Amino acid sequence: MHETQSKAPGELFFSLILLLVSCVLFWQAYQIDEFSSLKSPGAFPMAAAAVMFVTSSITFYNTAVKHFRVDGLAKKRISIMPLPVVIILATLLAFAVVVESVGFLITAYVFLFITIKFLYQSGFLKTAALSLAVLAVIYVVFRLVFQVVLPEGIVPEREIIAWFESLFK
Amino acid sequence: MINKIKSTLAILSIAASPVFADYPEKDIQGIIQWGAGGSTDTVMRSIAPHVEDELGTDIVMINRTGGVGAIATKYVYAQKADGYTLLMGAENPQMYKVLGLGEIDYGDMVPISILARGTPIFVAQNDAPYNNMREFVEYVQQNPGEVRTGMTGNGGLTSIVLAMLDSQVKLDLTRVPYNGDGPALTALQSGTIDVMSTVLGAAIDHVRAGRMKVIGLMDNSENALVPGVEPITEDFPGLSNYLPWGPFFGVFVKQGTPEEAVIKLQDAFRKAATNEDFVNIMTNRGYTMMNLSGDEASSFLDKYKSVSSWLVYDAGYAKHSPADFDIPRPESN
Amino acid sequence: MESLQFFATSWLSPDLMLLTALGTFLGIYVGAIPGLSVTMAVSILISFTFAWDINNALCLMVGIYMGGVYGGSRTAILLNIPGAPAAIATALDGYPLAKKGMAGQAIGLSTVMSVVGGFVGIFVLAVAAPLVSDFALAFQPRDYMMLGILGIMLVGSLSGESLAKGMFAGALGMLIGTVGLDPLTAEERFTFGHVELWEGIHPVAVMIGLFGLAESLEQLHHLDKAIIKQKVSRIVPSWKDVKRFLPLSLQTSSIGVIIGALPGTGGEIAALMAYDHAKRVSKKPEVPFGQGAKEGLIAAESSNNAAVGGAFIPMLTLGIPGDAVTAVFIGALFIHGLNPGPLLLETKPDMFWFMVGTLTMANIFLLIFGLTGIKIFSKLIQCPKGILIPVIFVLSIVGAYSINNSVADIWWMLGFGVLGYFMKLYGYQVGPVILGVILSRLIDENWRRAIIAEREDLGAFFAGIFASPLSLILLSAIMLILLSKVSFIKEWVGRIARS
Repeated sequence: MHETQSKAPGELFFSLILLLVSCVLFWQAYQIDEFSSLKSPGAFPMAAAAVMFVTSSITFYNTAVKHFRVDGLAKKRISIMPLPVVIILATLLAFAVVVESVGFLITAYVFLFITIKFLYQSGFLKTAALSLAVLAVIYVVFRLVFQVVLPEGIVPEREIIAWFESLFK
Repeated sequence: MINKIKSTLAILSIAASPVFADYPEKDIQGIIQWGAGGSTDTVMRSIAPHVEDELGTDIVMINRTGGVGAIATKYVYAQKADGYTLLMGAENPQMYKVLGLGEIDYGDMVPISILARGTPIFVAQNDAPYNNMREFVEYVQQNPGEVRTGMTGNGGLTSIVLAMLDSQVKLDLTRVPYNGDGPALTALQSGTIDVMSTVLGAAIDHVRAGRMKVIGLMDNSENALVPGVEPITEDFPGLSNYLPWGPFFGVFVKQGTPEEAVIKLQDAFRKAATNEDFVNIMTNRGYTMMNLSGDEASSFLDKYKSVSSWLVYDAGYAKHSPADFDIPRPESN
Repeated sequence: MESLQFFATSWLSPDLMLLTALGTFLGIYVGAIPGLSVTMAVSILISFTFAWDINNALCLMVGIYMGGVYGGSRTAILLNIPGAPAAIATALDGYPLAKKGMAGQAIGLSTVMSVVGGFVGIFVLAVAAPLVSDFALAFQPRDYMMLGILGIMLVGSLSGESLAKGMFAGALGMLIGTVGLDPLTAEERFTFGHVELWEGIHPVAVMIGLFGLAESLEQLHHLDKAIIKQKVSRIVPSWKDVKRFLPLSLQTSSIGVIIGALPGTGGEIAALMAYDHAKRVSKKPEVPFGQGAKEGLIAAESSNNAAVGGAFIPMLTLGIPGDAVTAVFIGALFIHGLNPGPLLLETKPDMFWFMVGTLTMANIFLLIFGLTGIKIFSKLIQCPKGILIPVIFVLSIVGAYSINNSVADIWWMLGFGVLGYFMKLYGYQVGPVILGVILSRLIDENWRRAIIAEREDLGAFFAGIFASPLSLILLSAIMLILLSKVSFIKEWVGRIARS
């Protein structure tokens, strides 16, 4: 576990953000009910935020000290945001943005296709087939067996299911 | 663009389907305001199969909890008014406006059915030194702050029942908050609290088993499930303005739903609610069957809203005055 | 003699046996898939089995419950995504074992220990149900609060290299747990005016993000790394191993039964407390905790399955649900025309013994299904990362969505995934966060309930603790652990001892 002994880029920045977040949250907790009483709904959140503030200050101080000590270790730097992480995060965000309007089936299929193509680097047809297989399994398990109604979006799923059922009636 | 694709697909699928039957032609979604295992959930899940038989289609039940039912209410309101999304809920939305919890209440919905209502009662620990409301009130007046009662949040049943009592006599009770009447009744048995007001059905079995006693009945007539317990109006006739009052379960669709769908749904629920099994389940649990729809349902809902909103407002924990929303004060009969 | 006959009901009917088997089998998969919860599956079954005979319906549901609680361990071990909060403690040591190529062994051991835990739970239910439920009712708000504090002390052991970072993570979790309408006063806390936040942030969304998503994002760093070869030759743990760990698993199972029987706590808290216990009593684990200690895995798995039997104790004796699933069971019994209240035991003793019998049978099926098919499961993580990781992403999204049919939970899951990714990168442990989320309400609500019940009189609050043996025991336990953990006190004690 010596990895973290060296300074990862952005560590100081991250600990600073946590410190700032703690301050904001403490302020928010204070706003709930101020220091009114022991039973107030704000008492516990304030205590938690106070612990966050103290511990993040300690961490920030430690990191800052380390920051100056190990500045020569630039070679050991690990990339915090390699390209795959950036791309995957972007597609995940896009997924969450459009899933409700476009619908789960289409979004998930496109997502699977892009990510499998990118990470597995298989051929076009193979990727298409793989994504379809994965999606089919997920759909059957969640939507049909466990009746989790995934966002339908532009696909009139219920009509299609009803039509499908009517074929067997 | 998206809408265009959507409508094209919809037309395609309709064109492709061999029979274009009348409503309902696909699954119906039932959005339940409360979580799995709760009383609303149980009631809705026990009537749904009978309704499915009447309608000849499936009802997919989905729990959308949150915001004391506001999330589910908002969700159904955001869907198309086509009769394929039902709101299955309890009394809570009627208080949203005065409590500042939301803009939409059952006034923005068409009631399909008000299935049943509960009757509030007061239960106490077995060894408590009072056996009826008169003795209870005297005891609290002699020992202010000594008696602990459970509370289930502002606007909840306990808060309204205590507000009713408060409108007649001021009592100094220590109010210990709980997340629901289940945990509060457990606490009554643990000795953490002394008294709890709750709906009859939730406590009746504990009473039958001798684990707690009924000291009061919040109704204007006796109840067969708790024989010998005087209705509260005997001691406080002033309460007859408010009673009968009780939490209820109802099914709703968004306003603007086609007449045909509303009538079909109302018929289906009316028939389903007379099913013997369902009635047995409900009466065993201590609920009074109502099976109201149309105007009857609307006037019941209005009365509930008026009584509860003004009580909560007078007790001082409403965010807005009921007058802001043109909710009339309950008339004295 | 009559009870034996009721006990055997489900054993004598091939139909009931088949349904229990089917339920257990399905349950393992329900449990394994994050987002699909046992609560959800059982409530779907209520509508599905509406017209069935009640015994048939119950067999299926009991099977799902038993299998589901166990199933959460599968994905916890293989992918570091606990299938349910009860399997969080399992992931702590189970996933490191899988990373070492010992997934098969870990699953085998967790299966056997789950079954041991299950039997302990059922045994206590059968012989001591009324006694245990009286004991559970004796717990006052202050006792629940102290139980929560006892649990949160686990942060000390989960912190990894830096206690400050661990405590930060734990406090963050506690704060996240308070988001939403305060259940006691309906005051808004950290909602920033959004109705969507009233119900708070669901622990499962946090869990899927911090564990599953963060782990998969981190894996993207090592795409070129060879896939770990899983040894699948020794799946069934050796008798020697079972014997060696049996005392520990009996202890942790007892913790599981008690915590499970308490109406305010369930399997997830049981597993975390049992994990803490194991860490304290195992002086010399072969590998340190957190890096694949079998003791940790055993503690988590035996206790959460023991909690199943525990949760049925207050439900069958008093009609008080021991957890969310038993609450749905109560609803199911109602719908089938029974009154699952405090009178059930008197009026329908057959129901009690039927449940005990079916639970026993489900537990045996668990052993069978748990030990078969492990090879395929462990092979699953040998599938190329380029396919596995996208699948995990989609599963995480669907899982988060299905908690409450809400896109907001997808956002939370993503947010916590990114947070977890950076936390891991900078040496923070994610375990304390989820621990905080789970225990937050238990401590917050019960502290306030306790102090309100005493009319905000701290003196009366402490007097209450010293007047109750139960509270005193809990308080001493907290003190003892504090003393043993705080290093300066340790040093100080050591110095006194030396002089």
